[in-house]
Amino acid sequence: MDSQSSSKMGANSKGLNPIQIRDRLEQLARGAGINQWDLGASCSTDTSVQVDRGEAKQMKGAQRSAITVRVWNGDGLVGVTSTSDLSDPGLAKALEGARDASAFGNADETPAFSPLATAPLATLEQPIHQPQSILDLLATLKDAERQLLDRHQAIGTVPYNGLAQRSSERLYLNSDGASRHQRLTTASLYLYARAEETGRKPRSGGAVRLAYGASDLDIAGCIDEAAERTISHLDYAPIDTGHYTCVFSPEAFLDLVGAFSSLFNARAILDGVSLSSRESLDHQLAAPFLSIHDNGLNPGNVGASAFDGEGTPTKPLALLEGGMIQNFLHSEATARAFGVAPTGHAGMGSKVSVGPDWFEISATPGSDGGQQGLNHLGEGSPLVLIESLSALHAGVKASQGSFSLPFDGWLIQNGQRRSIEAATVAGDIRTLLKGLVGFEGPAKVTPDGLCPHVWVDGLSITGEA
Amino acid sequence: MVLSPLAGGFDTTWRSRLESLLSSGCGSGADLVEVFLERTDHIGLLAEQDTITSVSPAFGMGAGIRVFRGDRDGFVSTNDLSEAGLHHALEQALGMLGLAPTASAVANFEGLKILRDFAASKTDWLQRCPEIQEATGTLLEGTGALERHGHHLQARRGSYARDWQEVLVAASDGTFARDIRLHQSLGLNVLAADGDHRAGLGRRYGTSGRPDDLREWDAEGSAQEVCSSAATMLYADYVEAGQMPAVLANRFGGVIFHEACGHLLETTQVERGTTPFADKVGDVIAHEAVTAIDEGLSDGAFGSLSMDDEGMEPQRTVLIENGVLKRFLSDRAGELRTGHARTGSGRRQGHSFAAASRMRNTFIAAGPHSPEELIASVDQGLYCKSMGGGSVGPTGQFNFAVEEGYLIENGKLTKPVKGATLIGEAKEVMPRISMCANDLELAAGFCGSVSGSIFVTVGQPHIKVDSITVGGR
Repeated sequence: MDSQSSSKMGANSKGLNPIQIRDRLEQLARGAGINQWDLGASCSTDTSVQVDRGEAKQMKGAQRSAITVRVWNGDGLVGVTSTSDLSDPGLAKALEGARDASAFGNADETPAFSPLATAPLATLEQPIHQPQSILDLLATLKDAERQLLDRHQAIGTVPYNGLAQRSSERLYLNSDGASRHQRLTTASLYLYARAEETGRKPRSGGAVRLAYGASDLDIAGCIDEAAERTISHLDYAPIDTGHYTCVFSPEAFLDLVGAFSSLFNARAILDGVSLSSRESLDHQLAAPFLSIHDNGLNPGNVGASAFDGEGTPTKPLALLEGGMIQNFLHSEATARAFGVAPTGHAGMGSKVSVGPDWFEISATPGSDGGQQGLNHLGEGSPLVLIESLSALHAGVKASQGSFSLPFDGWLIQNGQRRSIEAATVAGDIRTLLKGLVGFEGPAKVTPDGLCPHVWVDGLSITGEA
Repeated sequence: MVLSPLAGGFDTTWRSRLESLLSSGCGSGADLVEVFLERTDHIGLLAEQDTITSVSPAFGMGAGIRVFRGDRDGFVSTNDLSEAGLHHALEQALGMLGLAPTASAVANFEGLKILRDFAASKTDWLQRCPEIQEATGTLLEGTGALERHGHHLQARRGSYARDWQEVLVAASDGTFARDIRLHQSLGLNVLAADGDHRAGLGRRYGTSGRPDDLREWDAEGSAQEVCSSAATMLYADYVEAGQMPAVLANRFGGVIFHEACGHLLETTQVERGTTPFADKVGDVIAHEAVTAIDEGLSDGAFGSLSMDDEGMEPQRTVLIENGVLKRFLSDRAGELRTGHARTGSGRRQGHSFAAASRMRNTFIAAGPHSPEELIASVDQGLYCKSMGGGSVGPTGQFNFAVEEGYLIENGKLTKPVKGATLIGEAKEVMPRISMCANDLELAAGFCGSVSGSIFVTVGQPHIKVDSITVGGR
């Protein structure tokens, strides 16, 4: 080990060492006359492969480390600095940078330590897996690609694919003695196939799987789903522009709710960019049978964090019950402004961001649950099944409530379904939430949450017919 | 205060360390080894209403090592720039190709060439940038101007980002080059609200290689532009969906060409088999009115470079000339795998990404018409004054939000409309761009793709598309 690597501050090939990092940080802070600080750190080792028609396309490895240091100055103002340099000089420079930046801290809203930064954490069942060799990952992905290509002669390529594994650690420390540390391994597989028949437009479809290790990935399920989604869209037709009853797949509805999560975000409310306000609590936002909870601790949430960027424990939180807003997502600062406790949804910074973890969407217990017995294949009137939404970053105006999004899906009538060539769905989220018809089928676990199929009335569909 | 980068920089001592690394890689059986070293220094500022709410400095360093054998490659990135750290990363990259480090004689590495130092004249750039005090003052001028010019404003935001990067590229073909890059960008955003009416709009301005850029920013004019658009759109009706002709304004209107067609002219798409233009060089793929160019040379433009991230000087690449496809954008791997010669387009967000063929400053060239002639040629259609974001799917289908739109009725602009989305496919839309105006302008943007998020410029004059699907309510 040479001099530079031996001076690494508590981070080495075995990961982060909280005790060593705390000791070093306290020493550096004392020397710089800094009395109050906190730190978020992470390090990870990643390997990933991509293939192209039986050959390795790209093989990647990465060792990453990052820290964010916050410092409170004598006037109580906060400064922050981030760096990937975990050496002693790097940390000293980060502390110095944070102290300098604190001169520009916002006196109107100064973050403080979370009062829950030392509260007990939930125990997460997250088995740690040993990484597979990259050549093993490559062999697995080549085989998966071959199986997918063999499913249908029209599937010519799987242009977007990847098998990745990650070993990571997160750390939160503060000068009041809080110490959070989490180790995690995860793996992911995605297969996105492209199919084309003579004289027809190319079609595509894909699937994703997550697990705690590459050996636990549901590879066969991913191949089945990617194949089914691709092949089922080969026979397509344009759709007439108009208003349709729509059935959102669990994935599509979760995407839409996630894109409008500023409805529940206390940070966005304080910033004036949410459709909600402080007074929205207990107000009717949606149909009276809709429940939305945020629950990062759900066992279906692979890679869940036990604590947020401020060290606050992750916990379940009811956002909507009976269609009425129950709670907002909070950081320490927004919770203080609202007079409630932090909810475990904070990032870290001089201005702390707030975001959701993992949604659970269901019928409110005790409600009628909306229209019963919904079955899109048994419907006589035409309806649109929206399988997946695209371009959410561009087509959602969260502060205005409007959306216009391309989607993959089917036109369904009299039990027959036909893939839609190309179309967008547009509307207003508040109108949509109030216009829910009901739920169909059991809730499905997805990477973003838990949700059944959701029926909505009267959405605008633009086709190319 | 200026946050200076890590002390030391990439000085002359790196030559021997890199030659040792490259020699080791080639001696182990690699056909080519490339090392990309990077140091970064970033600052982000946010002003909301009349307060600075976030000052976020960040600095970092890292290396990306790429090993080629045949047309395969392995890539490893690390934050550890020690000799041991770099050799460990190299071993991992070699292992991906089934190679093990050996001390064999090296036949395919003759040492690094003389350093091409594009950074030499840029070493004071960081120090010449505005200090935080000055930058925050300018931002607050911007949000103050929004307040003066706006009506019904519920939120006013100004943001500033300064990204400084020093890179050193060394490869076993002798490539040895250093550069310093500086990008500054400024954004103004407003949310106007009146009862149930809401309009959120923003504009972003950006340059490269101009340390004094922020000092020359017209805060007043920028605020007026944003507020004028917000006032117009606040009470706009939703557009009716359908097929119609459209006139797209200049500057950021070029984002559609960038997304819908430009990406399909990158060799990464040829490799994936996801471009319909792979075998169309020499064929007509667009209306004869269309000439499209990608280059990295325009002074101060966001996508300009002295060298790409593989050490090659950028070229001016004519992609389409009078409707005929002329060539693709290519990087080292693209040349190796598709045969298209490199164009100085190998780009990456940073050391943790392998370079890929990516756009720089991409635009449709000016034509002979005035913008008014384009609008006058449309009976019933849509004028897209300002575009929002968009995306392109794996089958080439694109989708773009129109941030500020107006109906064209009988050759004249009439009422503002919101909620419009332009939908189509490059192969079908390119032949329908029938008129180009004479008012080419460029606009700064960010492009996210296989090698991360990079600084780019999009641009065009006003253009007319004879028929396009407009999504609405």
